[in-house]
Amino acid sequence: MQLASRRYDVADVMAAQEFYHSRGWTDGLPVVPPTAEAVEACLEWAMLAPDRPVGVEPVRARAITAEKLAVNAVMAGCLPMHFPVVVAAFAAMLREPFLLHGATASTGGCAVLLIVNGPIAAETGMNPTFNALASSDRASTVIGRALRLCLINLLDVRPGDIDRSSLGHPGKISYCLAEDEAGSEWLPLADERGMPAGASCVTVMAAGAPRQLMNEWTAVPEEILDTYAAEMRANMRHYSIWPGNYVIVVPPQLRAHFNAAGWSKADIRACIFEKARIKRAEWAECGKGAVVRDRGDREYAALTAPEDLLVVAAGGPAGGFGAVIPPWLGGKSRAVTVAVGACVDCEIP
Amino acid sequence: MQLLDPSHEESATEFAPAARLAALEGATVGVISNGKEGTRGFFAAFERELRQRYGVAQVVLRTKSNYSAPADAALMDEAKRWHALVAGVGD
Amino acid sequence: MHDAVAGERLGIPSAGIMTEAFASAAELMARALGADGYPFAAIEHPISSADGPALAVQAKRAAADCARLLTGAGG
Repeated sequence: MQLASRRYDVADVMAAQEFYHSRGWTDGLPVVPPTAEAVEACLEWAMLAPDRPVGVEPVRARAITAEKLAVNAVMAGCLPMHFPVVVAAFAAMLREPFLLHGATASTGGCAVLLIVNGPIAAETGMNPTFNALASSDRASTVIGRALRLCLINLLDVRPGDIDRSSLGHPGKISYCLAEDEAGSEWLPLADERGMPAGASCVTVMAAGAPRQLMNEWTAVPEEILDTYAAEMRANMRHYSIWPGNYVIVVPPQLRAHFNAAGWSKADIRACIFEKARIKRAEWAECGKGAVVRDRGDREYAALTAPEDLLVVAAGGPAGGFGAVIPPWLGGKSRAVTVAVGACVDCEIP
Repeated sequence: MQLLDPSHEESATEFAPAARLAALEGATVGVISNGKEGTRGFFAAFERELRQRYGVAQVVLRTKSNYSAPADAALMDEAKRWHALVAGVGD
Repeated sequence: MHDAVAGERLGIPSAGIMTEAFASAAELMARALGADGYPFAAIEHPISSADGPALAVQAKRAAADCARLLTGAGG
C-alpha cells in the first residue's frame, strides 16, 4: 500500500505528543502515534485505497482522502473496526446540505453530533444505554474524536483561525452515540430517514449542547412531550428562534410510557410539531423585548415539518431523563444520513 | 518511530500529461468502463465510431468490477500495452 | 477522471468521458488529483435511459472529443 503522507522520525510516544501538539495537530489530548502500519490496517479493514477521495470540501475544493482520515482516526484512538464509521460520517459532513464550512466556522459554536444505527454499533461495542451522551464507551468516544481531529487537521478548523466559535461546547471533543435499537420497539432513526431497513448508518448534525430534562410524574405521552416541547421552546426563546432539525433523546423509562400507549416515533413527531411553537412576544420575557416590536403575535415553529425532528432511543435504564439537542442555527445546516460502507460504492457528489 | 503527517498536504506530484498520439489510425485504444447503466450500448456505439470514422485498429473494452473504485493495478498494467486509454462514463 | 489521470501519469495518452451534469464535479476532482484544468469529453446526461439513436449521437460526439484530446489535433 502506497501512503502519500509525509513521515517524521520521533524518538518515542512522549516525544510524539509534543511533536504533534506543537504543530497544532491535536485537540489538546494525547494522541495515538499514527504509524504507517496502523493507518494501513484501517484502510485495509475499510477496503479503501489510500488516495481514494471520500469527498471534496467545496469551499476550498479540497479532496479529503481515505489516508488522511485514517491518520486522524488512528490519532483519535480508533481501531480498524471503528474506521468505516469515521469515513461514513465525514462523507456525510461533506454533503452539501450539511454546509460543513458554515457549521464549523460560525461564531455559534456547534459541534458535529453523530448518531449510529445498525449492526455496526454493537459490532464496535458502542453502548447506547448508560452515559449515552458522554463517553459511554471506547468506540463512541474515539469515533467522535476522530471527526474533530479531521476537521482540525484537514480543514484548519482551529479556535480563532477558521473556527470563530465564541463559546463552543464540550461536544466538540466528541459527540457520538448509538441508538438503542435492541432496547426499543421503535423503528431506528436511519430507517425513519429513508435508509434500507437494518443497514448500518450514520446521521450527522451540526448541533448545540444537549439540554437535559426530567419528567417522572406522568405516564401520559402528551404530557411527557410537553416537557420536551418546553425545552425546545426555551431554546427558541433563549438561543435561536429559527426552525431546523432538533434531536430528542428518549430513555427506557419514558419509552415505556409511549409503548404502553401505542405511540410510534411518527406520533411523537406530529405531537411535537404542534407543541414546539412560540410567539415573538415571549422574547420580552427573556430580555429580548427590543426586537419584539409590533410583531408580538407572530408565531414561530421549531420544526418546519414533523420529519425535521429526529427521535433517538438512548439512555440508561433508570430515570425519566430526556434530552433536547438543538440545531446550530435553524435550517442552515441539515442533518444528513448515509449508510456505512456506501461511500465505497457511490460517486462523489 | 516513524509517524505520518495528519494535515492536508498540497499535492506534491507534478502533473504532466503524456505525449499525444500522432494519429488514431491503426492504434489500439483501451476503454475502461465503469459499467454503469447505459454504458454498454454507449461504448458499443463509441467503438464503431472509433473504428469506422477514425480508423482505430483495435478497441479493447474492460469493465471495472467496482465502478466507484479506481482501475486496479492489473488493469493499469494491461493499459500500458495500449496506445491510448479512454475512461468513462463519469456521472 | 481518476483512471484517465492515472493513464496520463503512466505515459498513456488518455481521455475521460463525463456527462455534462458531472462536469463541475469532474473539474473539482481533476484539481483534487493534482491535474487542474485537465480536459475531458462531455456528453449529455443521462445515458442510462437513452435509446439507440440517442446513444449513437452521444457516442459520435464523444469519439470526436476523444480523437481531439488524444491526438491534440483540431480546436
